[in-house]
Amino acid sequence: MFFRNLTLFRFPTTLDLADLESHLAECALKPVGPLELSSRGFVPPMGQHGDALSHAIAPSTWITVGGEDKLLPGAVVNDLLQKKLAAIEDKEGRKPGGRTRKRLKDELVMELLPRAFVRPVRTDALLDGGLGVIAVDTSSRKSAEAVVSEVRRALGSFPALPLNAEVAPRAILTGWVAGDALPDGLSLGDECELRDPADTGAVVKVQRMELSGEEIAKHLEAGKQVTRLALVLDDHVSFVVGEDLVVRKFKLLDGAVDQLESSDREDVAAELDARFALMAGEFKRLFAVLEQAFKLSKAE
Amino acid sequence: MRSLFRLLSPTRIAAKPPSVQRDSVGLVLADGRRIDVLRVRDPRARRIKLSVDERGARLTLPLRASLVAGDRFLHAHRDWLARQLAVHASEPRHNLARDATAALPLRGADVPLRWADGRATRVEVDAGGGLVFAAPARAGDAALRRALRDFYEAQGRTDVGRWLPGYLPELPRAPRRIVFKRTTSLWGSLAPDGTLALDLALVLARPAAFEYVLVHELCHLLHADHSPRFWAAVEARFPGWREERRYFHAEGRALKARLRQLLAG
Repeated sequence: MFFRNLTLFRFPTTLDLADLESHLAECALKPVGPLELSSRGFVPPMGQHGDALSHAIAPSTWITVGGEDKLLPGAVVNDLLQKKLAAIEDKEGRKPGGRTRKRLKDELVMELLPRAFVRPVRTDALLDGGLGVIAVDTSSRKSAEAVVSEVRRALGSFPALPLNAEVAPRAILTGWVAGDALPDGLSLGDECELRDPADTGAVVKVQRMELSGEEIAKHLEAGKQVTRLALVLDDHVSFVVGEDLVVRKFKLLDGAVDQLESSDREDVAAELDARFALMAGEFKRLFAVLEQAFKLSKAE
Repeated sequence: MRSLFRLLSPTRIAAKPPSVQRDSVGLVLADGRRIDVLRVRDPRARRIKLSVDERGARLTLPLRASLVAGDRFLHAHRDWLARQLAVHASEPRHNLARDATAALPLRGADVPLRWADGRATRVEVDAGGGLVFAAPARAGDAALRRALRDFYEAQGRTDVGRWLPGYLPELPRAPRRIVFKRTTSLWGSLAPDGTLALDLALVLARPAAFEYVLVHELCHLLHADHSPRFWAAVEARFPGWREERRYFHAEGRALKARLRQLLAG
């Protein structure tokens, strides 16, 4: 259940999340109807191992937006539509007009929808009321905003703002690779992306490479800037942070996971609870470092 | 090459909307000087328009105006054009040049700038409130301009981060995201999806003017128009908005021109 990516938004810490469970229950996921394309709503984060729509270890809360999407490929609809149009043309000796095409297409979609496959989807999120942060487990801004929209729908009001850095993230990342002191606990990983500042300039992506080496220094001297950088926090968490401030490849390392495996748990729910507690704790430490390094604005 | 699928597909493809076309036309002024005028055929233009800025003269033509009508308009305003070009030629240029640029505009003032060697290209505010532009010796102009653009955006985000939370509680929702762009004439806009776009040149303007634009765009979350109700919402949040609008009328073009010169490729 560990998150892989973190797209972050800030909200006021004064926001009352006490009735979150009851609000989420009003917006629980309903199965997609026969004539619907998709449905979204909250599902239990622990899946079949728990019924609650949120799992809280104060001040962190784990929520999950689930969904069902009908799979109806456009090519299938278009192919059937063309066959129908050809049949009408043969029969009537004229090409059907735009209005007829639209009506036929709507009829086809209605006919095919009940027979379409349903694909389940889920996106997890961590709400930290103390920090005023929601971390959505996706690197896609669109998916993350969809989760925030669902929370807003449930709560009625959820003034979440995307992260706002008061220093240029590129400048900070470039400085770290160039030799500036890293924040306490943070060390360089082995992956980065460098971009030439010109609009259609060169892009250099390196993996499994010493970032403080000569080759990277040459790129920096030529004026390239770091737009993505792998970092490690206290040998507990490794991650890649981009100039868009999305955290990718978020991974708890042995230093953190060892604590988890040393304890004894019998049921899956207790295991998930322990994993969430561990991840929430590590996230809190990571966010504190990022907040200071990038001077992230608060939402109040 | 068009894709094979598109060529084979019997589905009708909508005609491509007309796009902006640019070319250049020569003009001999009354004093015998020959200048190039940028001729732009813009589908959004409603009338023939001749404008001049620090980049030179520009003739804008609506979609259906003839080239002959454009030439006639240009010749009819030849003297006016010469006067405007003389005015712009006398204005100081503000290009970004390593070791030569001694100050940068920021928040309505010119802030002293110091150049330094560094392993990475960036602009920072030093302890004394001045600016330091650090860059490796090999960093080109594009790297310097990009670093300056990033610095201005960060400064803009600092201001927005300071002002925005104060206005949020009375709004139906927060902006989906905030982007800084370089715009030709607008200062800000709010897209239907909630994306709030701000002109980067706002960072050069005085802070009150910047804040007014932010408030203006945020009020579009309440009223997506410029109705009296909208202006009442602006008035309630930012009573001095008229003064800031006058400031933009007086200084706006110069602010945009200065940023354009600093960041021009």
